[in-house]
Amino acid sequence: MRDAYIVAAVRTPGCRRGKGAFAQTRPEDLIVTALQGVVQRAGVDKAAVEEVMMGCAFPEAEQGLNLGRIAPLMAGFPIDTTGAICNRFCASGLEAIAISAMRIMSGWCDVAIGSGCESMSIVPMGGNMPRPHPEWAKTKPDVYVSMGITAENVAKRYNITRDMMDEFGFHSQAKASAAQQNKDFTEIVPTPATTYSFKDGKWVKESKMQDFDDGVRATTVEGLGKLKPAFSSTGSVTAGNSSQTTDGAAATLLMSEEALKKYNVKPIAKFKMYAVAGCEPDEMGVGPAYAVPKLLKMAGLKVEDINLWELNEAFASQCIYAMQKLGIYDDKKYWSSDSASRIVNINGGAIALGHPLGCTGAKLAATLVNNMKKKNAKYGVESMCIGGGMGAAALFELV
Amino acid sequence: MVRRIEKAAVIGSGIMGGGIAALLASAGIPTLLLDIVPFDLKDEEKNDPKARNRIVNAGFEATKKAKPALFMSKKDTDLVALGNLTDDFDKLKECDLIVEVVVENLKIKQDLFGRIEAIRKPNAIVSSNTSGLPLAKMAEGRSKEFKEHFLITHFFNPVRYMKLLELVPGPDTKKEVCDFIAEFGEKILGKGIVWAKDTPNFIGNRIGVQLICEAFKLLETENITVPEVDAMFGPAFGMPKTAVFALADLVGLDTIGHLAENSYELLAKDERRDVYQLPKFVKDMLAKKMFGNKTKDQGGFYKSEIDMATWKKIKKVLDPKTLEQKEFDKKNVPACVGKAKEAKTLADKQKAILFGDDNGSKFAWKLIASAAIYAANRVPEISDTIVGIDDAMRWGYAWEAGPFEMWDNIGLEASVKKMEAEGYKVPENIKKMLAGGNKTFYKIEKGKKFYFDFASNSYKEIVTSPNMIFLANIKADASKVVESNPSCSLIDIGDGVFNLEFHSKMNAINKDMVDFMGKAADYVYHNGVGLVIGNQAPGIPGAFSAGGDLAFMLGLAKAGKFADIDGFIKEVHKGIMGIRYAPIPVVAAPYGMTLGGGCEVCLACDKIVAHAELYMGLVEIGAGLVPGGCGMINLWRKFIETIPGPAKLTDFGGFFVPAFMNVAQAKVSMSAVQARENGFLGPKDRIVFNKDYIIGEAKKEVLKMLDEGYVAPKKKKIPVMGAEAHGMIWAEMFNMKNGGYITPHMETIAKKIAICMSGGDVKCGTEVDEEYLMTLEREAFVDLWKTENTQKMAEHIMTTGKPLMI
Repeated sequence: MRDAYIVAAVRTPGCRRGKGAFAQTRPEDLIVTALQGVVQRAGVDKAAVEEVMMGCAFPEAEQGLNLGRIAPLMAGFPIDTTGAICNRFCASGLEAIAISAMRIMSGWCDVAIGSGCESMSIVPMGGNMPRPHPEWAKTKPDVYVSMGITAENVAKRYNITRDMMDEFGFHSQAKASAAQQNKDFTEIVPTPATTYSFKDGKWVKESKMQDFDDGVRATTVEGLGKLKPAFSSTGSVTAGNSSQTTDGAAATLLMSEEALKKYNVKPIAKFKMYAVAGCEPDEMGVGPAYAVPKLLKMAGLKVEDINLWELNEAFASQCIYAMQKLGIYDDKKYWSSDSASRIVNINGGAIALGHPLGCTGAKLAATLVNNMKKKNAKYGVESMCIGGGMGAAALFELV
Repeated sequence: MVRRIEKAAVIGSGIMGGGIAALLASAGIPTLLLDIVPFDLKDEEKNDPKARNRIVNAGFEATKKAKPALFMSKKDTDLVALGNLTDDFDKLKECDLIVEVVVENLKIKQDLFGRIEAIRKPNAIVSSNTSGLPLAKMAEGRSKEFKEHFLITHFFNPVRYMKLLELVPGPDTKKEVCDFIAEFGEKILGKGIVWAKDTPNFIGNRIGVQLICEAFKLLETENITVPEVDAMFGPAFGMPKTAVFALADLVGLDTIGHLAENSYELLAKDERRDVYQLPKFVKDMLAKKMFGNKTKDQGGFYKSEIDMATWKKIKKVLDPKTLEQKEFDKKNVPACVGKAKEAKTLADKQKAILFGDDNGSKFAWKLIASAAIYAANRVPEISDTIVGIDDAMRWGYAWEAGPFEMWDNIGLEASVKKMEAEGYKVPENIKKMLAGGNKTFYKIEKGKKFYFDFASNSYKEIVTSPNMIFLANIKADASKVVESNPSCSLIDIGDGVFNLEFHSKMNAINKDMVDFMGKAADYVYHNGVGLVIGNQAPGIPGAFSAGGDLAFMLGLAKAGKFADIDGFIKEVHKGIMGIRYAPIPVVAAPYGMTLGGGCEVCLACDKIVAHAELYMGLVEIGAGLVPGGCGMINLWRKFIETIPGPAKLTDFGGFFVPAFMNVAQAKVSMSAVQARENGFLGPKDRIVFNKDYIIGEAKKEVLKMLDEGYVAPKKKKIPVMGAEAHGMIWAEMFNMKNGGYITPHMETIAKKIAICMSGGDVKCGTEVDEEYLMTLEREAFVDLWKTENTQKMAEHIMTTGKPLMI
């Protein structure tokens, strides 16, 4: 097997669903910016790219009609650059990178992009027309259960308390806020945001550049403690300790060793391995607690060998549980905002930065490889839970 | 010139100004709401438009948040534009009607009218909502043209809900302007118009404040307590439960004080002038700022406190002798109150209160004898007729009967004898009336109502708008009631149109009515042309029909007679669908509470002509049931029947979910507009602002349909969402159950609702027969009665009025 090298990885800002900068921006426009951004950052010609694989959790309506083919064409890639959509819900973006990496590893191609795109403003979570199977919904409704309820289940079953979750949420915001101030989000490509507004008797379509994540906010643990539960009258999962629903896109350019030489570019990291594990649908959040050990076992590595982690914060409850299982929660030095030696979600996670479903896998990859480079971290792991009861995890190695 | 109100302005954004603006907007009229620029602007705020509009913005926010709601729909708030009296004054020149509702200060009002005169467009009407200032003084210094278009329009609080609109013209006000505003107020704003004169406090507050002040006086001298008085003069006497003293708390004792002071000063010749000099304990209350509800810490006649130990609310009442508020026993009421509660008619209730032999009755008689005499002495001083005074008290104070109607109820001749024996000075006009052998203030002859006119010492017809039909008047002629049973009647309302009137308790639909519906339709088929389903039960908002007769079905269920319930529902379906497919036009005229069975009757009709105050919903889930009168079928039909043919319905869920939620969440509209927004009223259905118009308007609709060539609706198959809906609903129910948002039996019922409304186990988009849907509904209904939980829920709501969450 050949190695798959990551040459560049970028993302658009993540902006709040409905109220954020991208609420009126078509999903195609977001992914076009990411695709153009990644080739530009890599310094290669668009024509070099043979294939674009794109993750999307709800590939319908504006995100339908094989966005994976249409978006590269809109971005100015030649007709020879092919493309497809893949869907593994919240791991779709990572799945897309893995598929592109495999294609390179197997020798089926030399240059490919793995990407993700989701406008949760435009195509709602669950899709426009959710239609659970009637009999299955009557006998086994937990495959269709709301993600919030699964987070409550994790909290209840594994004794993750409200205080723990709110504290975790606070640190996510604090880390993101500090990273914004320090201009640490170098993986962001400024992205045009469309707005339609009524001015002087006319509706006008305007565009402005958006270059920051607009869900980051100043919080306190006490303030978060006052929020009402969002999914259960007696629950502990709130808007403040859950990921934000977000619009965004991200892309990673991968190459074979031959291609690196041919185009004379330097890689950042290798995409090493990818693992997916299953779990009970009604506690899907525990997925990473199974996927990461599976990945590490495959790689012959231990938790201690990993220098940087991007664990998607779908909900504080599930993220804390996964960290507990990996042994990187109890000691706050691993993750708290005031710890200089933190290694988990060092610039904050989805609670502050948002979770644009099918984009998240590609978004976190961009964040991770750029941080690995900055921190000179040898191994990085990205992982997330997946609706329906799965976890996915990928291993990156700095070159 | 044809007068129109295309744009109105309200100046003053307090509770009354905001309320008037909200009513105008709810009636569809773009309205400019203005208030002053704050006096205390900081230098940096002086050019900031936001700061300059601070007062009007705050007033409008309060109006939008008011409870009960002043706007009928959130969307209507867009029709109100805000501004201030400095920067936006010019905008008044676009307005056809300008209503002044600023502080009750003559100089300020005079100055404002001076400014308005300089800018108003010719012919624009200007009015004041003053509750006491003389019109003549307010118009001083204005031109003749201004005075010709100037009058007082006095609304009552809360504006949307209180029907009274007192109109006071000046000597120069044009008749054309008066007629126009009266019609506008009645037809467009739905108000009850009473013509008052330029006398202090006009009619409602003159009579109302006299009663309150009289009660203050008597409280000092008689052996009676505050809650005893309020127990007698609440619903037991046909008055709102705020009665006398709680009303003073609600209005504010400071306001009552001003009104009384105003009366004392200006009413030098009033025979009860002394009563307006407030007793010492009231003056002491005023000095201590015990104004009532608006001074929560001090309270008023009543005070609510929270017991910190138990967190329970405790209500205390004033002892006028010590000015202290103490706890009291709410159940300790005068004996006459118990008797009044047992009485069936208002007349018997009022007799029970006034003519008992307990201490309470003695007080009550003294209060009412003086109030009745006071009212009689006010004709023609404040109103040319007794009708104006009765209307004002019914509409402005929510009394079920005005003073003269009350007098008729308790027997005029006998009560006058009692007054004379006790040394009361009976008014000359009453003596003259009785001497002429006229023993009642009102009488009904040949479907028309007459009042006794003191001026001519004879009866005169009460002339109302031809749009108004009063069933009570028509029914006085027994030949017009063509069929009747204890729960409903069929009344001939002319031109071949008949009215099916409910008159059971809360007009709940029972077996009598169900049986009667078919008969009524049949009778009209043979003897007439069309049917109106309407009634005129008293109360604010009143009940067109508050639901179905649960007691009857609960009895059957408890006896295990489920086959009888099944049979009953078959009859209900026959009755309801009989109405729907009758070969004659059927128009429902609902108002107020139109719930459950009442709502289902309306949904089956060709058309609904609804009063703007319509609280409509299918609330059966609260009683442990699904709707049993084809309500779910007809609601779903209404949801989808207006989709144009070429538009292919792909997303059934987009229609199904809101229709389902209406029933599963027992959504009740808080106005007719909201009922339309919820999908209960369709595009053909109409909303009418004046409650007295709805039967008349419904009758017009019947005749119009006939004129246009009426053809009864044909049975059509109905497309349903089928099993695809179940997947969605079951999955969502699973979330709700996990979130603790739904109780187990409610979940069972909600799922049955989903089955019924989606047409059961069929493929999405299947067109099914109505009979099939009726079977689903009937089965669900009977199945639920078989459960212990439904029986418990039904029993609970019957006894407590609240749903049992199990």
